[in-house]
Amino acid sequence: MAQQYDIKAMVTKIKALRTDAESLKEISGGIPAVIKNADRILANVRMLEINISDVAEVQGK
Amino acid sequence: MKDSEYWNPILETLPREKLRLLQLKKFKEIFTWAYERSKFYGKLYKDAGIEPGDIKKFEDIKKVPKMEKSMMRSVQGPGKDNFPYGDILCVPLEQVTDYRQTSGTTGQPVYQADTWQDWELSTEAYCYAMWAQGYRPSDRIFLPFGYNIFIAFWAYHYAGEKIGCEVIPGGVLNTEARILKIQELKATAMGATPTYILGMAETARKMGIDPPKDLLIRRITVAGEPGGSIPATRKRMEDAWGAKVYDQVGSTEIGHWGWQCTRQAGLHVNEGMYLVEIEDVNTGEIIEEPGRRGKMVVTTFGRMAQPCIRFDVKDVIQWNARQCDCGRTYRLLDGGVLGRADDITKVKGVLLSPMAIEEVVRSIPQLGNEYQVVVTKKGDIDDITLKVEILPDFKKDEAAIKAKLTDQLRLTTNLGYNIEFHEYESLPRSQAKTRRFLDQRPHH
Repeated sequence: MAQQYDIKAMVTKIKALRTDAESLKEISGGIPAVIKNADRILANVRMLEINISDVAEVQGK
Repeated sequence: MKDSEYWNPILETLPREKLRLLQLKKFKEIFTWAYERSKFYGKLYKDAGIEPGDIKKFEDIKKVPKMEKSMMRSVQGPGKDNFPYGDILCVPLEQVTDYRQTSGTTGQPVYQADTWQDWELSTEAYCYAMWAQGYRPSDRIFLPFGYNIFIAFWAYHYAGEKIGCEVIPGGVLNTEARILKIQELKATAMGATPTYILGMAETARKMGIDPPKDLLIRRITVAGEPGGSIPATRKRMEDAWGAKVYDQVGSTEIGHWGWQCTRQAGLHVNEGMYLVEIEDVNTGEIIEEPGRRGKMVVTTFGRMAQPCIRFDVKDVIQWNARQCDCGRTYRLLDGGVLGRADDITKVKGVLLSPMAIEEVVRSIPQLGNEYQVVVTKKGDIDDITLKVEILPDFKKDEAAIKAKLTDQLRLTTNLGYNIEFHEYESLPRSQAKTRRFLDQRPHH
């Protein structure tokens, strides 16, 4: 079953999502609509890390 | 996309040695976070002489002091820092987005703070449960609960949405209106306490609606009381609704840590998101072997605003020797939560668990769903009265039912009872957690 997904590739994409959401906040100029929506994205990114990235780490991937 | 049996196959089928590594990593993270950011936890750990660097291997976890409800209460409330949460809080108040509290039936409630990310975490944990119970986007879920300050079925609502189900909030409607709405909208699933699930079925029948025949509910998640893991109670609910009933366990302070999957073989502990330890009540030793009862000590991974670390819940549980056929590597608990350490009490010198009484009462079809156990003292001797409701059609069989009840209770609990028959529907009923065991002895 493990062959059906590429954990390493998913980890890379999740990292990119975090970087993008964080830099979006940085360039927002303080616009609440950008910051607060980026925060919600980051909360979901954390769920992806819990589901995938943290597990990949103990698997040595 | 092919339907997956698992919400997350990578985590749910992780080999156990890797799962243990993951738990150690996550324990270290939350321990360090709380040590550095919460005055409450910092003091607790510094007083015990333990710091993050001391947690090197899994076995070191048990060196970390436990925490219990009374300790949380003592730092919360008026006049304390970070009102109302106290200095247990690890984030600035401005980051708290969600408030919940415990019922406070045994004293001042515990106030629980969550950030939005924490709330996502609670929702995520519930997604694991619901997906394992067969919920899919085609389900139309009805929620017959009062949306309020208590955690109750809030996460079930959000997890239902996240999975992609259609969620109908049945908040302030009364029971009759809820049943009519379930019928009108052809709802396929719902979540409530076992007491309310049984009560709703009774009400529906009085309205001339036979749930298995006239309604489309085929999947029910129960929580808040142990009934979903008591076979006789679960059978009553399944027969009353013509639906599969699954247990789900959690609490305000912990989150949603365990659930039955569609195999109904026991209660899976969500070991990817929680660490559940079983502690011998007398020696404090951590129990790893199946079939030996002890007190649950639980840690929630990743809940950042108000962490829950080695929380002494006082629930009694035991590991199941079986590996579930579902393929998850998460361990099973045998019989779910077996009772509260506070409720399992000595009566006439014998250890009595109220759940054992429920199993007997609800296995006798001539009796109603409700019952009450009252323990008093007559002189120096404990006295137990069991109040049950007899169904109207069986009043003539009272003597035979009493004899059967007495025999089965004696066999199951090794105790004798005064049995009182009450009119059907005369014992107290509640939509929330129902307290059926009343210990009225002095000093209890």
